[in-house]
This record gives sequence, C-alpha cells and structure tokens, in this order.
Amino acid sequence: MAEALVVRNLSKRFGGLRAVQDVSFSVKENETMALIGPNGAGKTTSFNLITGYYRPDSGSVSAFGRELVGLRPHSVCALGLARTFQVAKPFGAMTVLANVMTGAFLRDKHVDTAAAKAREAIDFVGLSAKIDSPARDLTTIDQRRLEMARALATEPRLLLLDEVMAGLNPSEIDQAVALVEKLSQRGLTIVIVEHVMRAIMAVARHIVVLDHGQKIAEGAPKDIVSNPDVIRAYLGSGYAQSPTTEIGSA
Amino acid sequence: MRALGGWTRALLGLLVAILLTLPVVVKSSFAIDICIRILMFSFIGVAWNLMGGYAKQLSLGHVAFFGLGAYTSTLLQIDAGISPWIGMLAGGVVAVIASLPIGWLCFRLRGPYFTIATIATAQVLMLIFLKFRDFAWGAEGTTIPNLGNAPLMMQFESKAAYYYIALGLLAIALAITYRIERSWLGYYLVAIGEDEDAAEAIGVNAPRVKRDIYMISAFLTAMAGTFYTQYIYFIDPATAFNFSISIEAALVSIVGGIGTLWGPVIGTVLLETTSTLLQSWLGSSTGGVQLTVYSLILMTVILWRPTGLIGVATEAYQRLVRRKPVQA
Repeated sequence: MAEALVVRNLSKRFGGLRAVQDVSFSVKENETMALIGPNGAGKTTSFNLITGYYRPDSGSVSAFGRELVGLRPHSVCALGLARTFQVAKPFGAMTVLANVMTGAFLRDKHVDTAAAKAREAIDFVGLSAKIDSPARDLTTIDQRRLEMARALATEPRLLLLDEVMAGLNPSEIDQAVALVEKLSQRGLTIVIVEHVMRAIMAVARHIVVLDHGQKIAEGAPKDIVSNPDVIRAYLGSGYAQSPTTEIGSA
Repeated sequence: MRALGGWTRALLGLLVAILLTLPVVVKSSFAIDICIRILMFSFIGVAWNLMGGYAKQLSLGHVAFFGLGAYTSTLLQIDAGISPWIGMLAGGVVAVIASLPIGWLCFRLRGPYFTIATIATAQVLMLIFLKFRDFAWGAEGTTIPNLGNAPLMMQFESKAAYYYIALGLLAIALAITYRIERSWLGYYLVAIGEDEDAAEAIGVNAPRVKRDIYMISAFLTAMAGTFYTQYIYFIDPATAFNFSISIEAALVSIVGGIGTLWGPVIGTVLLETTSTLLQSWLGSSTGGVQLTVYSLILMTVILWRPTGLIGVATEAYQRLVRRKPVQA
C-alpha cells in the first residue's frame, strides 16, 4: 500500500526545549495510526508541524507525494489533510450548519452545494438534531463531533485527530470509537493522538510512542503494550494488569 | 437562503419611500444637515463593519482612508480640474493601494496590538499631510472653490442633492454587505473573527481574506472622505484625518450591532440624534455637560445590550409582524 504521510527526521525547538527531536514515521493509506506518549512528549507539536502551524527547524513532511514544510495551514488543508484541535475550536457565534458549511466552501463556493455537503457531514457524525444550534451551546462530545464534521466537509484524505476523546465519559468514548471506525471504513487515513488506551487498542493498527520529543517505540498495538520502554515512560507497570484506564490527564 | 418575507418587503419599501421623500417634506436646513450626517456616518459604519464587525478586526484607523479619499479628490480637483466624481473613485483606488502595506504591517498583529497599529498608521498619514506643505497646503488646509450649482463637479446649491448622494452611497454599501453576508466570503469573515487558527485548519486563507475585505472597506471609506470634503467645501489634515471619525465608525457599529447588516445604521441614528438633541438642549449650559450625559447614555446602552441594539430592533420587529423568532 502507498504511503499517505511520511515524516522524516522532524525537529523543533522552543528556546532550550527540544519539543520534537529527529522523529520519523509514516502512515499507509487507509491505515489508522496512533501517536501516544505522556503529556509534553511532542504529540500536538508534531501535529502542528505537519499541518503548517509551526515550521520545523529541520526534517521533512510529505503527504500523498507532496512536500508540506513551508506551506501555510490552509494550503495543507487544501492538499487533503484536515485536523481537529485538542481544545475544540468551534465558531461559537455560528450555527452547527454554518460551521460545517465554512469547511465545505473549500471545495465549492456555492452556498447551496456547501449546505448540502455540510448536512451530509453533520449527519455522518450524528449531529443532525443540533444542526441549527449555535455552536457555543454544544456539549463537549458534540463540539468534537462538530470539529470532525467541519474537517470532513473539506473532503480530506487524511484526518489528524488530536485527543478527540479527552473529557468524554465511557459511553461517549464508545460512540467516538465507533465514529473513528466509521471514518476509517469510509477510506480515510487517520492519525490519532489519544490518551484513552482502550480507544487506541480498538482503532489503531499501528502505534508510534513519543517521549520527551523522541520516538521510543513503534509497532503493532500488542507489541507496544508489552514493550518495557513504553511501560516505563508512559503506560506504567500497572497497565499490564488492567488495560482499561485512561493514562495521564487531558 | 430564506427569501425576503412579505412584511419585510413592505417595510423596506416604506422605509425607502420615506427616505426618498424626506428632503421634499423637511425644509429645515438644520434637519437636513443632521440627516446627511446620519447617512454619511452610517455609510462609514457599514464600511467599517465589513472588516471590524464580521471579521472582528477592530480597526481604529479607518480615518486613514477617509483622509486619503478626501485629499485625492481635492488634489485632483484643484490641481488638475478633475471632477470629484472621478476623484471619488480615484480616492478609493488610492485607499485600496494604501490598504495593502498598512494591512501587511497591521495584520501581523492580533487583538489590541492590531488596533494600536491601525491608530498609528492613521496618525502617521495625518502628520505627512501636516508637514509636507508643498504637497497639500499643510496645516492651514484649503477651501474648495465654490462653483455654484455644478452637479458635474459634485457641487449643489440645495442640501437635498447631498442628501441623495449620501443615501446612494449608503444603499451601495448595504447592498455589498448583504451580498457578502450571504456568500462564502461572509462565512469566512465570521470564521476568522471567531477563531483564525480553526478557520485556517479548514482551508480559509485568512491573510488573503482579511486583505481583500480591508480593500473593500478602505475603498468605501475613502468615498465618504470625498463626499464630506465636497459637502463642507474645506479640507485640512485635522478634519480629514480626525481620530473621532475612526472612533465613530467603530462606535456606531458596536452600539448598533457588530457584524450585522443594519447594526451600524441603527447605531448612527441613535448616536447622532442623541448627540444633536443634547447639544441643542444642554449645549448652552456649563461646558461639557452634554458630553457627560452623552457618555452616560453610551455606557448605559453598552451595558444593557453588549451585543448591540439590533437585538432590540429585531425583537420589536418580530412582535410587530407576529412571527416566531427566527434563529440568528
């Protein structure tokens, strides 16, 4: 299978802090990959480097054969990479429909077609009942749904989900897992940053573990959970006994 | 999109009819003058609101474009005999060109820093016109030669003509806003105003959208500058680059309802009427009393309706036509 995203030797420093050091990984098309690690490991920084919010000090990022370093976030999105934010960023004053239409305008500037596409995306994430609500009135899980619908409306090939399950209760996590699986079945390549191990084990085929900005492990989920480095840095020795808890905090 | 309802059509028609016949009915030159001021500041407010209201880029330097419009048409008229009608468009073009470097500089900043930068650029422009006297008459300014009734030179003996020009300008600005509000651009502007990073994430080229709306806003504001100079037959840097014009452009929108079609108009009607009435009632008493009362009224309105008076107007209108409130 072809590579959807290839990250090579990516590095970024903030002053004296090496947020991301020489990280490389790749994601195959239609694969779901998880990026895990303790808080401050460089997961969100990696997302920001991939999607053009930060410029890397060195290294390269390419998606579907196109180099992304140097592009601004809107150009990265136009190339088919859509992301969500760790802290949801709804356009509060707009309705759910208007939020998602704003995403749909990327591919079609007509109001009617954008509205039709937006309705479809809203339906897909299960937010149709709230379609005319102002986005600021949504609950946490609905805000995450909205972010996903808005990203979907841009017709991405690769979706980067940044902690979409943080702060959700167990039944909401099940719903979110089902949604991520549905997205994957739709043919999307997904990179997911998450602390909820139960969710990661359910959706990811491949896991990359970061710690202090460096990649410390990579592989299939079953290998990762028994990797001694990963247990020491992130999962904790208790994980082997009860792998259902959320690790770290949101 | 929802089509205009029957009631809305009827009321809009009535409003237009009243506005068109007003100068025929009202003969007082003082009253017409107030109406012209209301129309002009509504126009400036609507122009400001495109960028300041929808995209929430709070500029307090819009007088830069007002002044550039005023000076461009006046220089063309006095030095080259070119009609201010053409000068008005030329002023708009000059303002658009000026908006590119100003925007390039100011849009690097966000929030209050952006606002301060816009104030600074307007002040710098005023200083340029103040200091370079060979170029444009310096601090003393100049009067516009009075040609009597010369419609082709935008000079009229009756105030009604100025009234209709201001009304026309306002109608154009409202039509432009109406179109933008309902297009992709309107959605993009509001998205940028809400969260620029999130807008970029879904493909909005925020710098370009802000640049484009700044150009439109600057063009319209410059037209007001030409109009005002022709109306008062005088120009100097202190008038053409008066900071209070920047303030008023923002204030009428904020009081009336930021990021709404009619907000700046409602805000101007309220603020201009209040200020004129207070001036005539209290202007002769102890100096400054009318300004104090004006400020108190302003504070009350903003505390009472922080999102602008448009909400009050909408509710009243919906009661009037007995409809269920529609979702904004």
